[in-house]
Amino acid sequence: MLSLLIQKELKNILLSPKFAATFLVCSVLILISIFIGINEYENAVRQFEANQQIAQQDIAQASSWGQVRNIAHREPTPMQIFVSGIHFDVGRLSGISSFDDVKLVRSPYSDETLFAIFRVIDFAFIVQIVLSLFAILFTYDAINGERENGTLKLAFANSVSRVNYLFAKFAGIWLGLIIPLLIPILIGLLLLLVFKVPVGADEWMSISGLIGLSVLYVTFFIGIGILVSALTRKSSLSFLLLLVIWIGSVLILPRMGVMAAGQIVPTESIAQLEAKQEAFQKARWDQYSAELSDIWRSREAEMEGMDENERRAYRDDKEWEWLEKDDVLRKKVQSDIIENNRTLMEESRNRKKVQEKLAFNIARLSPVSSFRLAAMNLAGTDIDLKNRYEQSMRIYKDDFTQFVEKKQEEDGGHGGFRISVDSESGVQLDFGRNDQTLDTSDMPRYSAPKTSLQTSIASSIPDFGLLGLFILLAFGGSFIAFLRYDMR
Amino acid sequence: MDDQHNETIKQAPLLEARNLTKVYEDGVKALDNLQLKVHPGEIFAMLGGNGAGKTTTINIFLDFIQPTSGNAFINGVDVNKDPLEAKKNVAFVSENVQLYPNFTAIQNVDFFVRLGGKSNYKRNDYEAALLRVGLQREAFDKKLKDFSKGMRQKCGIAIAILKDAPAILLDEPTSGLDPKAGKEFTRLVGELRDEGKAILMSTHDIFRAKEIADHVGILNAGVLVAQKTYNELKGVNLENLYVEYMAGYMEEATGSLINSLAE
Repeated sequence: MLSLLIQKELKNILLSPKFAATFLVCSVLILISIFIGINEYENAVRQFEANQQIAQQDIAQASSWGQVRNIAHREPTPMQIFVSGIHFDVGRLSGISSFDDVKLVRSPYSDETLFAIFRVIDFAFIVQIVLSLFAILFTYDAINGERENGTLKLAFANSVSRVNYLFAKFAGIWLGLIIPLLIPILIGLLLLLVFKVPVGADEWMSISGLIGLSVLYVTFFIGIGILVSALTRKSSLSFLLLLVIWIGSVLILPRMGVMAAGQIVPTESIAQLEAKQEAFQKARWDQYSAELSDIWRSREAEMEGMDENERRAYRDDKEWEWLEKDDVLRKKVQSDIIENNRTLMEESRNRKKVQEKLAFNIARLSPVSSFRLAAMNLAGTDIDLKNRYEQSMRIYKDDFTQFVEKKQEEDGGHGGFRISVDSESGVQLDFGRNDQTLDTSDMPRYSAPKTSLQTSIASSIPDFGLLGLFILLAFGGSFIAFLRYDMR
Repeated sequence: MDDQHNETIKQAPLLEARNLTKVYEDGVKALDNLQLKVHPGEIFAMLGGNGAGKTTTINIFLDFIQPTSGNAFINGVDVNKDPLEAKKNVAFVSENVQLYPNFTAIQNVDFFVRLGGKSNYKRNDYEAALLRVGLQREAFDKKLKDFSKGMRQKCGIAIAILKDAPAILLDEPTSGLDPKAGKEFTRLVGELRDEGKAILMSTHDIFRAKEIADHVGILNAGVLVAQKTYNELKGVNLENLYVEYMAGYMEEATGSLINSLAE
């Protein structure tokens, strides 16, 4: 009986024009999105490699280690083909120097603003928007439509249990919707092999997880569609209600979560943060100037009572000592500024983390957020992408700074250039290394932070669980509603 | 038919309403202590206007609604207690048979017959049943969305025939059919009765009821106000009887209402 009902449901769907439309739209969208995603990824890889080479050449051609301007680049990942997440919003590179803090700049969207307006259509977007709408289209009249047609009455004039009937509805519609999803996905995965996208075992596992997640997400919308259909008498009403639910859960709730969290846990904007940093910097340099004035006054006091020759001799004697003391003071100011910047950034990041956590928890009232967050975690294009890169770049920056200081000491000074003024030859600039390049063979290289598969899975498990819970609620509600459904 | 009728009432009824009362949530009493029995080889026609309780009776037999009190039995099984077992013994044809529009006639018949528990039929059997109900062979593999109401009704009766249940419920089955299709339908129902089926039919059509029914019950506001056998109907102008009972009942009801208001 159950298999007969499932077969009927599946046959009814497969023979319907909406299946043909769904299959066509899903296939075209999924395949195009994967194809474009592969092209984008390949371009990003080419750009990444070219930029790295240019950066290496620039370093090698610098006149001294003190002049080296290093740049660390964010590495593209094949998973961005499926879930772009915040990949296009985060900067692609950051300067690495002892003077400035790490800051990712030049995001793909800032380079190509046209795409920022309409955003890319990736696999996650298709599932989130298109397939959820199709799930509603397949289910809004699952029960009340059969009542309106009279087929419900005819079916239940037979010895058919309501539980079996509803289960068959779920199973039939589920299969009818999953087929249009899985076939183009499988073809899309073949494209990865054809275009030789470097997909490792971890990525395959992540892709499998992503497909499973998508199936769960679609299952939820099938469940909610059947629930509303079983709660209403007219298919026009259920369609309207489901549209309202869809808009609420896909478009409103996730944004509401972010807005509410912004009100509950306010954070500083980057401009405010930079203003604070600059204020400290200015105050610290002012303090330094005042200290330096005091020091010079005390030095002047030491020379009180000396004639001009004695003064010159005293100054010549003390010059290096004084310069070193001044340098220590200046370095202290610089390290204080860097330390303060770091502390402020850390505080801001921590507060942002609290805000993010709250925003996500509110947004998770909608299964759409659970899907999106889990998909981004699995793909490694999640909200933490920027922090991961900036943290790893900061660690690299420390290594690189130490390396440069070591190199400068080995070269016997701080490098740079020398200005000499001579009555015979005039002013001369000497860069020291005009005739050779720097040996960068032992220079530390930046490597992108790797997120292990276990970490990705662990961070997406709560959202998998939430989706499962939403599905259980929708299915349970449907069964209760249908057991009480008036067949007439 | 006399001997046959006497013979049938010796057998246990296949359809029986015992003190059936149904009061809807809005307080409307759709059935009031209804008693009826339909034996094998018998057609019971329920006559009555809109809201008389005909469809409510059929809905209770099909477990679509529960009675407020009383019981409905199909082949001795209480519908309220074991609806799935009870419905194994009944086939149903509605006023407006609606099948799956994307399926062909054969696919629809195949699905509903197998849903009715008959899975041993072959295509030939479906074709034979559809030919018997008068559907043209060319229509067998056409999708139902192209079918007229008459053609759909024929498919509905073919499904009921193939289910081969001992009892059949017909809810206004000839409503909206053209005279030729209606007559053909009546012939088929007669054949099924002759095969020993117990048929409970609700209808507005007094003449068709008189033509084929072994029992005619007149329902008004949920009350079975009159019940006549085929023999009792001989030489009786059923139309007059129907109007008389309805009018009498209305008068009585109006009188009661006036009395109650006066009190």
